[in-house]
Amino acid sequence: MRFMVMVKSDANTESGGPPNEADLTAMGRYNEELVKAGVLLAGEGLHPSAKGARVKFTDGKATVIDGPFTEAKELVAGFWLIEVKSKAEAIEWVKRVPCTDGVETDIEIRQVFEADDFGEVYTDELRDRDEQLRATAAKRD
Amino acid sequence: MRFMVIRKADEETEAGVLPGPELFDAMMRYNEELVKAGVLVAGEGLMSSDRGAIVRFSGAGGPTIIDGPFTEAKELVAGFSMFQVDSLAEAIEWVRKWPVEDGHGNAEIEIRQVHEEADFGDVSEENRKYVRNVRDLIDGK
Repeated sequence: MRFMVMVKSDANTESGGPPNEADLTAMGRYNEELVKAGVLLAGEGLHPSAKGARVKFTDGKATVIDGPFTEAKELVAGFWLIEVKSKAEAIEWVKRVPCTDGVETDIEIRQVFEADDFGEVYTDELRDRDEQLRATAAKRD
Repeated sequence: MRFMVIRKADEETEAGVLPGPELFDAMMRYNEELVKAGVLVAGEGLMSSDRGAIVRFSGAGGPTIIDGPFTEAKELVAGFSMFQVDSLAEAIEWVRKWPVEDGHGNAEIEIRQVHEEADFGDVSEENRKYVRNVRDLIDGK
């Protein structure tokens, strides 16, 4: 099963300063470990929300709101997509993330939908189209 | 440049309400358009937060595990897509076309710029191999 593991933002990640070399290196080593274990499927870091935007639909009408967004603790600063056998295994990996600066950091673990989770409404035709999309998108990635 | 396009959660996604045939169809058509335009590189949906957990680091002692669900539905992530586009404005234009079937026309979508390796600044030769994009690490580059 797949899990999305999200590092939540804080004042530091939202400030826009580049992470220091020691932190980057520690994270790189951790990522390498995940790759060696065959667990890591994807991962990205995000710029502060000041460089982002929100599109809020109200009864089908779009409103664009420019960043930054204020509730730093609820924002995402980066994520990993991992493939493991259980939520417990996901938690074990996340406990080893190098978070050593003493600042409170939340890392949220969420299970990813697989085609089988959607039931009968997810027809064979939709599955085929989804697989084609993924194959084409992956070539561009 | 890359943008992470985050569909924020709402009461229905947190209640585990699955998409119906109309939403699946609209979303599939939208994703097909994005792939055809070379914009979509990845995307996943997340299960409700009651299937998840938070690992909280706070310095003293080991990390604390908090089981879901988490209450701030509007701040949670229900799914994401990765867009490859030339600007934030282009990402916003694509998000404006988000299917109105989603969230009954009331979906909220957050757009966040993704870090590239060049953003990390100068890194010593010794640590260079650890400081790189996860996608290159996975590809063995």
